[in-house]
This record gives sequence, structure tokens and C-alpha cells, in this order.
Amino acid sequence: MSTDEPRNPLPGDSILPEPSAGPGVLRLLLGTQLRRLRETAGITPEQAGYEIRASRSKISRMEHGRVGFKQRDVADLLTLYGVSDDLSRSGILSLALQANAQGWWSKYGDILPGWFEAYLGLEAAATLIRSFDLQFVHGLFQTQGYARAVTVLGHRSAPADEIDRRVSLRMKRQDLLQASNAPLVWSVMDEAALRRPVGGHQVMLKQLKHLVDVAALPRVTVQIVPFRRGGHAGAGGSFTVLRFGQPDLPDVAYIEQLTSALYLERRADVDQYLEVMNRLSAEALTPIGTIRFLKEVIRDT
Amino acid sequence: MTSEGPSAGPGTRGAASGETAPAFDASVAHVARVYDYWLGGKDNFAADRAAGDQAIAAYPDIVFSVRANRAFLARAVRYLAAEAGIRQFLDIGTGIPTANNTHEVAQDVAPPSRIVYVDNDPVVLAHARALLTSMPEGSTSCIDADLRDADTILRQAAAALDFAKPIAVLLMVILQHLDDDDDPYAVVASLMAAVPSGSYLAMTHPASDIAAEEMREMAQRLNKLMAEKVTFRGRAEVTRFFDGLELVEPGMVRVQEWRPNTEAEATSPAALWCGVARKP
Repeated sequence: MSTDEPRNPLPGDSILPEPSAGPGVLRLLLGTQLRRLRETAGITPEQAGYEIRASRSKISRMEHGRVGFKQRDVADLLTLYGVSDDLSRSGILSLALQANAQGWWSKYGDILPGWFEAYLGLEAAATLIRSFDLQFVHGLFQTQGYARAVTVLGHRSAPADEIDRRVSLRMKRQDLLQASNAPLVWSVMDEAALRRPVGGHQVMLKQLKHLVDVAALPRVTVQIVPFRRGGHAGAGGSFTVLRFGQPDLPDVAYIEQLTSALYLERRADVDQYLEVMNRLSAEALTPIGTIRFLKEVIRDT
Repeated sequence: MTSEGPSAGPGTRGAASGETAPAFDASVAHVARVYDYWLGGKDNFAADRAAGDQAIAAYPDIVFSVRANRAFLARAVRYLAAEAGIRQFLDIGTGIPTANNTHEVAQDVAPPSRIVYVDNDPVVLAHARALLTSMPEGSTSCIDADLRDADTILRQAAAALDFAKPIAVLLMVILQHLDDDDDPYAVVASLMAAVPSGSYLAMTHPASDIAAEEMREMAQRLNKLMAEKVTFRGRAEVTRFFDGLELVEPGMVRVQEWRPNTEAEATSPAALWCGVARKP
């Protein structure tokens, strides 16, 4: 994600206690899902604990995402909760694997704030990423030169090697687009992100050409909201809505701030972001129109 | 390759400045999002869920009915692609993308298949353009048009489909949104008049004569809550849509009776009539 001005997002419950996130968001999502399944099955935490040879409080810790998950425990709980179809079981079990795995980003721990590390975990687990970017080209689509310029803007006093590592982290993140199980990335960007010559003319030109290439990827959709459409639904600022394959997992809205981020999963909150995202997608140029538009901007740049 | 109808692109809604934003109101239930809710999707809002729940209270099997409709769509498209050799599809009333969309089933059988999706809702169209992407060998495109305006649909579809070759016209749970004043029979007739011999019509339609009491109650509730009204029809009325066409086996049947693949498909509750017919 691009660094951006602090914003005033809509009020709502954050699913994360402030910056202490870690890769725990997946655990939290998994725990939430296990709790729902247990309650639907009418099973008490004591009964669930007995099933996996553990205490009531262990179940509680699992359901609050505070501990890791053993595959065998999750499998036994699913059986106890009456989840028998293979699709649901394998979805939850693979989530449990991912929740335990250390992310590729763990070696960037020194420069990675916890609140953003959590985002990387969610991004890697999502099946659909919908984002609106107001100021900067979406982080997954940035060229090295552009990413460097954005990073320098956000960390003016950082030593050169730290800048290098930050840029390398952002580039590494883009491996997601080439993965065999790549999520769909559906990005809406304001024209401002194309017109602001971050890093200078040559860097921007290269970035715009890269955007045309990225937009042609089968798992990527790019839509631009041109200035000529006047004021638009996303005036409040950049945000991302992440969707997961498991039917029970809620969408998560991610709103980045200067020194932290909001993760919203309560339906009433997420719905507001989803509604704005839908409006933006309908107001923006179509994907094909966007490619034509990008080529025009490249000619003007 | 994903292409678009001639009116799509930057100028779709007027390239001039000061244009109005497309209508989108999440506070009123919308048919595509209510349907998404019944299917267990995540693209719905409070008003849609409230309307969906009202309908479920009147006719609890609606959640099976919509799944049976999707299952029929997949079976019918597979039949059309694999057995009837159809390579062009005109799918009117696309809805919010879900699993087993028309192009996925058709291109699984024949990758070069060309599919034109038609819808009249800007948000549905945005989803379709973003998510219904074709295999490289074939094409998908999207048209912004209303079923009542068959001329616009046909004119724009001609940019992507070859009307000299057979085309399958798909009308899945959409004709109930045309009341009798819209002259739905003339709409279907003009669509089928435009396609050549060897083309097909595949249709599902909510029934007024299956689970009749519950369906009538559900229709009343939906008509209070949704902008798009519904008119459910009986077997004879639905059969009339196929006048002049040859229904393939097993003819005009309940949706679960049309060539089910599994016991679950054959026994699912559903108050829908369906048919697949060839234009002679």
C-alpha cells in the first residue's frame, strides 16, 4: 500500500487491537470461524476442549486467535462440529496451515510495522482484493523506481540501506500476482495517481507503461476514475476490501493511516466500504476503456 | 481476450464532463444482490438481506431454488456446448458473478466459445467486466441493456457474435421481471427471429403453479421491497415462450427434472419451469 495522508475513516470496531497485530489476523479469522461453527453445533467450550484433550481456556484462546493451531486439533473439532464436506474442511484446514506459517516477510521484521505485517498475511490469503487508490499507483503494481520514490517520500531521514530493504519488500510482495493461486486484484485508481509525476518524468513514464502490462494480466483488473467524471464516491481516501474463499469468513476492509491501520470486519462497517467500492467501480472507466485511457496519458506524459 | 460492445468504454455513460453517476442505491433491495444473498454470496447489503429473509420466510425453499437454477444453467450450457456444438452464447440477465458462470462452463468444453453478457445494472456490469474474463482463445463481452429493448441487445451483440452462425440465447430467471404489459412473448420472439436456424433458447422461469401458495406470498413480499417487480407464470404460459421452437428432451419440465447429474440435483426443491429448445 502506498503511504498516504492520515485520514478519518468511518467509526467502527477494529478487529485488531492497535499496533500489536503480527500475522495473527489469519488466526483471528480462523478462530472466529471455529467459534461460529461450535456455537451453531450447540457445543460448549468444555466439550470442545475435551475432544482435543485440552482445557476450556485453550479453546477460548484458539477462538480469539491467541495461539497456533495443530492440524489434528482443527480436524477433530471440525468433525465434532459436524463439518463433513471436503470443501469446507480443506478450506479451513489450509487456512490453519497458513495461519501457522511464517510469512515470507518475516525477515523484514525490522522495518515492518505490525499493523502492516497483518495486511500482508491477509493479502496472501485473499481470493479477491479490491482496492481504491487516490494518490499513488497501487503497491502491487509499482515499478522499482516508483516504489523507491514513494518510499523516500515517506522516510526522508532513513539511511540508504533501509530504503533499499523497503523497496525490496514492496517488490517481493508483487510475487503474489504471479502465484499459481493468485488472488483476483481489482483495482480502481483516481486519475491523480497517474498524473502526479512521482520520481520524475522518466520514472513515471516507465510506471505508466508497466501499468498497461499489469492490467493485461488475467488475474488483474484496473479501472481509472478520470478527472472529467467530477467528484466521485471515493473522495474520503484510499482503502482496500479483502475477500476470502471460505463462505463463512467475512470481508475485511483495510484503511491505512500514517502510523497505523484499521481492519474492519463487522458487517455494518464493511458494507459501507463495499458500497463505496461498488459505486467507484461503476463510475470508473471500464477495464478496456482504462487501457485506452492509460495509453493517452502515456502520450501526454 | 475480453472485448466490449460498441457502446462500452470511456464514452459509455457520456464522455462529457458533468455527467451523472450511474444509479446505485444500496438502501433499496436489488434483485441481483438479493439473489447473491440467497446463493450465500458476499455482495449484498442490509436491505437485500432483509428482502431475502422476507422471501425465505414465505418460501423457505427459495435458497434451494436459486441453487437449482445455477445447476440447470451449468447443465444446459454444457449440453449446448458439448452436444449441440454451440460456440456463441447470449446470456441476458447476467447477475453478480458466482461459481460456474456461463463462459467458464462453455469454455471448459470449447475454449474458443464467445459469450456476450447482458445486464441493465451498472454495478452488476462493473462486476461482470472485472470478473468474467475469458480464456485467451475465446471472448467475453458485456452489454448494458434492458431485456425489454431487444433491438439494442441484438445491435450491440453483433459486434462480438456472428449472427450467421447458431447462437444460444439464455434467459435464466429473468422473464419474471417483464409483466404482461411488457409483452415478454414479443421480446423472446424478436430475439429468436434474429438468430439463424440451429440456434437455441434455454430458459428458467419461476412457477406460479408449483408451491403456489408460498410462491404467491413470496412474490407479494418481493414486489413491496424491490424496485424490479416479479410476475411468476404457470407451465402453459412458460411453454408459450417456446412457440415455433423444438424443445429437446425431456421438454418443458421442473428444473430438477432436466437431465440431472446427481441424486441431489434431481431431488432439490425448486419452483422453476425450464426448457431448452432448438430453432428449426
